[in-house]
Amino acid sequence: MKNFGRAIAQAANETAGTRSGLAGWGSVTDLRLRGLAKSFGRVTALRGVTLDIEAGEFFAILGPSASGKTTTLRCIAGIETPDEGRVIFDGRDVTDEPVQSRQMAMVFQTFALYPHLSIYDNLAYPLREAKVDPAEIARRVGEVAEMLRLTHTLQRKPSTASGGEQQRVAIGRALIRRPRLLLLDEPLTNLDAKLRHDTRAEFKRLHREIGATMLYVTPDQLEALSMGQRIGVLRDGRIVQVGTPAELYRAPGDDYVATMIGDPPMNMLQARLKVGGDSPVIELPFGEVSGGPWSRPLSAFSSGEPLWFGIRPHDLKPVSGDPIGPNFRAKVHLTEPLGDVTILDMEAGATALKIVLPEEEALAYPVGSEVHLQFDVRHTHVFAQQTGTAIR
Amino acid sequence: MAQRRAIGHAGWGRTIAAAIVAAIYFLPVLIIIMYAFQGRNDILSISARSLGDYLESIFSFTPTLSNFENVFFRANIIQAGEGAAQATETDFPLYFLNSVGIAGISVILALVIGTLAAYGFARFPLRGNDTYMFIILTTRMLPPIVVTIPIFIMFQVTGLAGEYPGIIALYTAFNLAFTVWMMKSFFEELSPDVEDAARMDGSSETRVFFKICLPQVKAGMAATAVFGLILTWNELFFALLLTSNETRTIPPAMVRTLGGEVGADYGLLAAIVTLFLVPVLVVTFVLQNQLLRGVTFGTIKK
Repeated sequence: MKNFGRAIAQAANETAGTRSGLAGWGSVTDLRLRGLAKSFGRVTALRGVTLDIEAGEFFAILGPSASGKTTTLRCIAGIETPDEGRVIFDGRDVTDEPVQSRQMAMVFQTFALYPHLSIYDNLAYPLREAKVDPAEIARRVGEVAEMLRLTHTLQRKPSTASGGEQQRVAIGRALIRRPRLLLLDEPLTNLDAKLRHDTRAEFKRLHREIGATMLYVTPDQLEALSMGQRIGVLRDGRIVQVGTPAELYRAPGDDYVATMIGDPPMNMLQARLKVGGDSPVIELPFGEVSGGPWSRPLSAFSSGEPLWFGIRPHDLKPVSGDPIGPNFRAKVHLTEPLGDVTILDMEAGATALKIVLPEEEALAYPVGSEVHLQFDVRHTHVFAQQTGTAIR
Repeated sequence: MAQRRAIGHAGWGRTIAAAIVAAIYFLPVLIIIMYAFQGRNDILSISARSLGDYLESIFSFTPTLSNFENVFFRANIIQAGEGAAQATETDFPLYFLNSVGIAGISVILALVIGTLAAYGFARFPLRGNDTYMFIILTTRMLPPIVVTIPIFIMFQVTGLAGEYPGIIALYTAFNLAFTVWMMKSFFEELSPDVEDAARMDGSSETRVFFKICLPQVKAGMAATAVFGLILTWNELFFALLLTSNETRTIPPAMVRTLGGEVGADYGLLAAIVTLFLVPVLVVTFVLQNQLLRGVTFGTIKK
C-alpha cells in the first residue's frame, strides 16, 4: 500500500458498499446479535435485541433517546457486558471477549479525544498500542490526516481544533487501525446544522472508499434514511422493524415506525372498521373509505375494531377540478414556510393533520381559508389501535 | 465560558485594591522576616502603642545577620543561653533535613497511594463506596487533640513513637485522607468515554490509567501535593508529641526557642521562620504553572 489516497480513489471506483480492494484493510465481516438484554439496576435498557448486519453494510439503528441505541453499541463493542444474549462477530462468539481484542473501532458522541495528546498523537495512539513500527505509524497518520484534511492541525491539541476537526480526528482515530467493524454513536449530534449536512456525505464517501462494515446509531430519521443501506428501528430496547429506507417509508410495520420515519410525520386519523357488504369499509371522521391495500386482511377483523388510518402529508392534495378519490374539507390553522415547501397545519373537524405543498401553491391557502383535500386510497396505511401493527 | 481578557484589562483601580488586600495577607510574613534581620535591642525597642508608631519602629533598625548565625552556631537551640559564649554547631541542619525528609516522603507516599485509591473509588466503586470515603475523612473532622490519646497509645504499643517510620506513617495517613478526596474529584471530572475509547484502541486497564487518566490529572496532583506539603511542613502538634531529639522537625524546635532561661529569642525564632519558608516557596514556585493550569479540558462538550 504505497499511496493510501490513490488506493482509496481506486476503491471508490469499484462497486459501492461491498468488499473493497483496499490493501491492508482486513476483510469486512458480519455481525449477529442474538437476544441482547441489559438492565442497569431497575432500568431496563435492552429487552432482547436480535439483528443481522451483513458484511460491508452501512446499517443504521434509529431510535429516540433512551431506546437503548447506545447500550446496544456498547454491548457490541464490549464496553458493557449484556445480561443475556450473544454477540457473534465474523462467525465467532465474542460476547465474553474483552474490548481490547475485538478489532472494532468506535466514534463516540462526545468524540472522546485524548485531551492531553496532540492530534498527531491521538491518531497514532491505536497504532502505538498495537506496537506498530514507528515509521509505519508516521506514514499511516500522514495518510489518514490527508484523507480527512487534518494535516495542518496535527501538532495542535484537540481543544484548539474546531468541532468539525475534532470530529474528523475522532473518525481518523477509529479508522487508522483499519477496524473490521466501525461503530458510530450519534457522531453528528455535537455538530452544527451545516457541518452535519456535509459530514453525512462524508460518511457515505468513507463507507464507499473503505468498505468496512459500519453500524451507525442515531435519533435522527433524516440521518438514518440518508446514510443507512438498511435501518433497524429500536423502541424500548427492542428492534421493531428492519428494512431499507424505502421499505420503512412505504410499508411501516407499525404506527411507531410510521410516525417516526418521514418528515413531517404521517397523519394518524381515528378510524373504525365496518364489516358487511362486499369489502370492509373504514369509517373516518369525515366519511368512509374502502378498497385500499389493507382491504383483504381487514376482513379477518370484526366490525367496530378501532384503527389508525395513516396518510402521509405528501399524499394529501388540494382538489383541482373533479376529485379523483376520497375527499374532505379542512381549514388552514397554521403555516410553516420552509423555503421551497410549506407545511400547512389543518383542522378537519376535530382532527388535526398536516399537508406539504410547494411554496407558490401554498400561497393560495392563507391561515383561516378552507381547502378541499383528496387522497389516493392506494397510498394509505391502516394500523390496529390495540397492537399498533400495520394491516396490509 | 468567560472571555479571556488581556492582562491589565481590569484597570489600575482594581489592581491597586487587589494589591492592598494582598499586602494585608503578606504583612505578618513580612514583619517576621524583618525581625530576622534585627538585633535583640532593635526588636525589644519596637513599640506598639499605635499603628503608625509600630510601623515606624519596625522599619528602623540596623540590619544584621547575627540571628542566622545563631541558627547554625550556638550552644543549642533547645538550651538557649547555656554556654552561649561557645560557638558550637546547633542541631538545626538535622531538624531541617528531618522536616524535608518527613514531609517529602509522606506527601509522596500519600500521593502515590491516594491517587491509586482515588481512581479506584471514582471508577470501580465498591459496595458502600461513600461510607469508606466518609470514614477516611473522620480523623480530619476533629481537632487533632481529640485523637491524641488513642494515637499516642497506638504509637507506644507498636514502638513507633519517636521513630522516623512512625511520624512518616502518621503524616501519610493524614495526607491520604485529603489526597483521596481531592484526587477522586479530579478523576470524576474526566470523561469515561475517553477511557472507553482507549480500551477500544487496545489499551489494557493499566495503560488506560497511566497513559490516559494520569496525564489528565497532573495539574490536580501538583495542587494536591502542594497543599499536602504545606499542611505537613507546618504540622506542630503531633511532631511535638511523637518525635524524639533525633527525629525532631522544625516546628517543635521553634517552640523551644520561646522557652529558654534568657526569655524568648524573637530574632532567632524569626530567622528560623525565614529559613523555614524557603522550601515551601520554592516548591510552590516550581509547580506554579501546574497549579494555575486548572483541570478543565476543552474536548468534551457538555
